Amino acid sequence: MTCDDSRTYLSAYLDEELDVAESLRIQKHLAECQDCQQAQDEQLVLRSALRDPDLRAYPSVDFSKRIEAAVRRAAKEEARARRSSRFDFLRFESFHWMPAAAVLLLMTAVGAFLVTNSLRSSHQQLVASAVLAGHIRSLQPNHLIDVPSSDRHTVKPWFQGRLDFSPPVPDLSELGWTLVGGRLDYVDGRPVAVIVYQRRMHNINVFLWPNHGPIDDAIRQEEAQGYQILHWNGAEMTYWVVSDLNNAELLELARALRGH
Amino acid sequence: MTPQEKLRRFEEQISPHLKSAYNLAKWLTRSHEDAEDVVQDAFLRAFSAFESYRGDDAQPQNAKAWLLTIVRNTSMTWLKRNRNAGATLGFEEALDDPRDRSPDPEEILLTSCDREEVRHALEQLPSDFREAIVLREMEGLSYREISAAIGVPLGTVMSRLSRGRDWLRRILSTPKRLNPKEGAGLR
Repeated sequence: MTCDDSRTYLSAYLDEELDVAESLRIQKHLAECQDCQQAQDEQLVLRSALRDPDLRAYPSVDFSKRIEAAVRRAAKEEARARRSSRFDFLRFESFHWMPAAAVLLLMTAVGAFLVTNSLRSSHQQLVASAVLAGHIRSLQPNHLIDVPSSDRHTVKPWFQGRLDFSPPVPDLSELGWTLVGGRLDYVDGRPVAVIVYQRRMHNINVFLWPNHGPIDDAIRQEEAQGYQILHWNGAEMTYWVVSDLNNAELLELARALRGH
Repeated sequence: MTPQEKLRRFEEQISPHLKSAYNLAKWLTRSHEDAEDVVQDAFLRAFSAFESYRGDDAQPQNAKAWLLTIVRNTSMTWLKRNRNAGATLGFEEALDDPRDRSPDPEEILLTSCDREEVRHALEQLPSDFREAIVLREMEGLSYREISAAIGVPLGTVMSRLSRGRDWLRRILSTPKRLNPKEGAGLR
C-alpha cells in the first residue's frame, strides 16, 4: 500500500468501515510509515475535538416543550379526523347502495352538492367557509392587508416572528398578478398567512399554511356566494385561493403558485 | 395502531432524539431560529409519516437515523427556499484534493484543538462535507445510514468524510495570522 492509498482510506479505517483485508493492509502500512502514523494521530486529535459534547447545539427547554405540545396536537387532530371519518356512511356519496331512495335523495341533496361538490370532507367545508369569510371580511375598508407592499422582500420577512412557518411569496408580476401585500388571518384553529394579489381591480386572497397531511396537488374548485374558491395540498403548504375573478384566470394563478 | 398508541410509540422511540435533531438542524442551517423552524416542521412530518417507520426497541439507532433523514431533508428544502441555496453548488471542487497539494510550510502538527476554532472551522466547511461530518462524529451514524440519509452512494460518503476531515485538519493546523480584531487569539 502506498501513502496515497493509506491517506485515502485512513478516515474509513478509523471509522471501522473497512473490511478486514483492507484494515490489515492499512495497519501494516501504518506500522511501517511514520508520516502516515502521524496523520493518524492528527485524525484522532480532530476526532476527539469533533466529539466534544460542548461543540453540540442544544435545544432550549421551552423549545422541547413546544415540540412535545405540537406533536400531541397533531395526534389529537388525527384522532378527531378518524372519528369524523367513521360517519362517512352518512355522506351523500355513499348512498348509492340504497337505490330506492336514490331519486329522492338526489333531489334533496342536489342543492348541498352544488355547494360542496369537489370539497371532500366536512372539515374541508368548514375550512372553505372560514377562508371565504376571511376573504369577505378582508374587503371591508382597511382589512385587506397588514403589510402593504408590492415587494416580496418586504412581505416575506414581515411574516417572520408572526408565524411559526415561512410562507413562500412568489413574484408573479410578469404573469400579470400584482402583489399588493400580506396579512395574518386565523383559519382552521391556527394563524395563517394571506398573500394578496390583484388583477384588474379584483382582489385575490391566497391563504396558506404548512401541509401536515397527505399531498394532493390536484386543484379543486368551488363556487360559493359568487366567489371562486380553489384548493390544493402541496408538498409544503396547503393553499386556498379566493376571489371574485373568473374561474379560468384563477386556475392560471393557482397553477403558477403550485409551480413555485 | 390507534392514535393513542401511535403517540405513545412516537414519544418513546422518536422524541428522545430531539437533541440530535436540533443539533443537526443547527449545524446545517447555522441559525438558531432556522433550526427551530426546521425541527418543528420535521417532527410534524415524522409524526404523520410514523406509520411508515419500521423500527423496534431492539434497534434504537434506526429511529435516530430515520428522524435525522427527515431533519436533513427538511433543512435542505428550507435552505433552498429561503436562501436560494447556492451553498452546496460547486463546493466539491472548492475543496482541493489533498493529494495534489504540497504541504503548507506554515502548517504545524495538530496535537490539540481549541473548541472555538473547531466550531468556526466546521461552520466554514461546505455543507456537503459538514453534514457528513456532523452525522458521523456527533451523531454516530454508520456510513450506510449516512448514505441513506443524504441519498448518495457509500463511496461518496467515504470520500466526503475523508476530504472534509483533511480540510479541517489543515485549517486547524495552520497558525492564525495576526489579526487585530482577534487579539486574544494570538500566539
